Amino acid sequence: MRKYETFFIVDPDLPDETNSVVDSKIQSIITSNGGEVLTYVPWGKRKLAYAIRKRTRGLYVLMEYSGGSKLVAELERNLRIDERILKFITVMLEERFDPEKEKERKAQALVAPFVEEEESAVPPLGGEDEEEMPEDFEAEGLKDEEEDDEEK
Amino acid sequence: MMTVRRKRRTFARRKICRFCVDSDLRIDYKDSKTLRYFVTERGKIVPRRISGNCAKHQRELTLAIKRARQIALLPYTAIHML
Repeated sequence: MRKYETFFIVDPDLPDETNSVVDSKIQSIITSNGGEVLTYVPWGKRKLAYAIRKRTRGLYVLMEYSGGSKLVAELERNLRIDERILKFITVMLEERFDPEKEKERKAQALVAPFVEEEESAVPPLGGEDEEEMPEDFEAEGLKDEEEDDEEK
Repeated sequence: MMTVRRKRRTFARRKICRFCVDSDLRIDYKDSKTLRYFVTERGKIVPRRISGNCAKHQRELTLAIKRARQIALLPYTAIHML
């Protein structure tokens, strides 16, 4: 059994009932294929870094689950078919999943979903980013790189 | 027309890898706040000689940034927003 995490984006314009339908559908895919859903955390709506299917906002959901390797292929196949899901990414967390350790982990706090950020969700253009960067950075080094690119 | 480059110092500035020093700091593709420090204003990944990371963490960071771009937490380029 391996531990995976799938992070996906759901269409934000759907009504809430549809969201819960999607939730239960995905969780049932996992359990019916011999897996176990460990956590299911909707992160909330957030501005996307670039438009996906003409939408600028998305509803992010993070799901941790354990299962066999075929489970992932099946889940991804279903996510691809479903039109309400815009993007997904699956990452393997652990090769050997230990249910005992999982109980200890659950006792700790879950990852907190981020607050909806309007302006600061995307790195601002222009000179603003330089102020955000820590002083460690050699800004001159970066500017040289940028100049070379623009000259090409 | 190439700009005249200053003579580069022969040694790099001695920077510490902030991930090696602070072991609480995890590199996670979902954590766009931390990752944003390692991306230029155009969205490019900052090279290691400037950010001061060690090789191992730079590799992990690159992987995390590329994943974050896939899931639209970071942009691929600045042109998206125009």
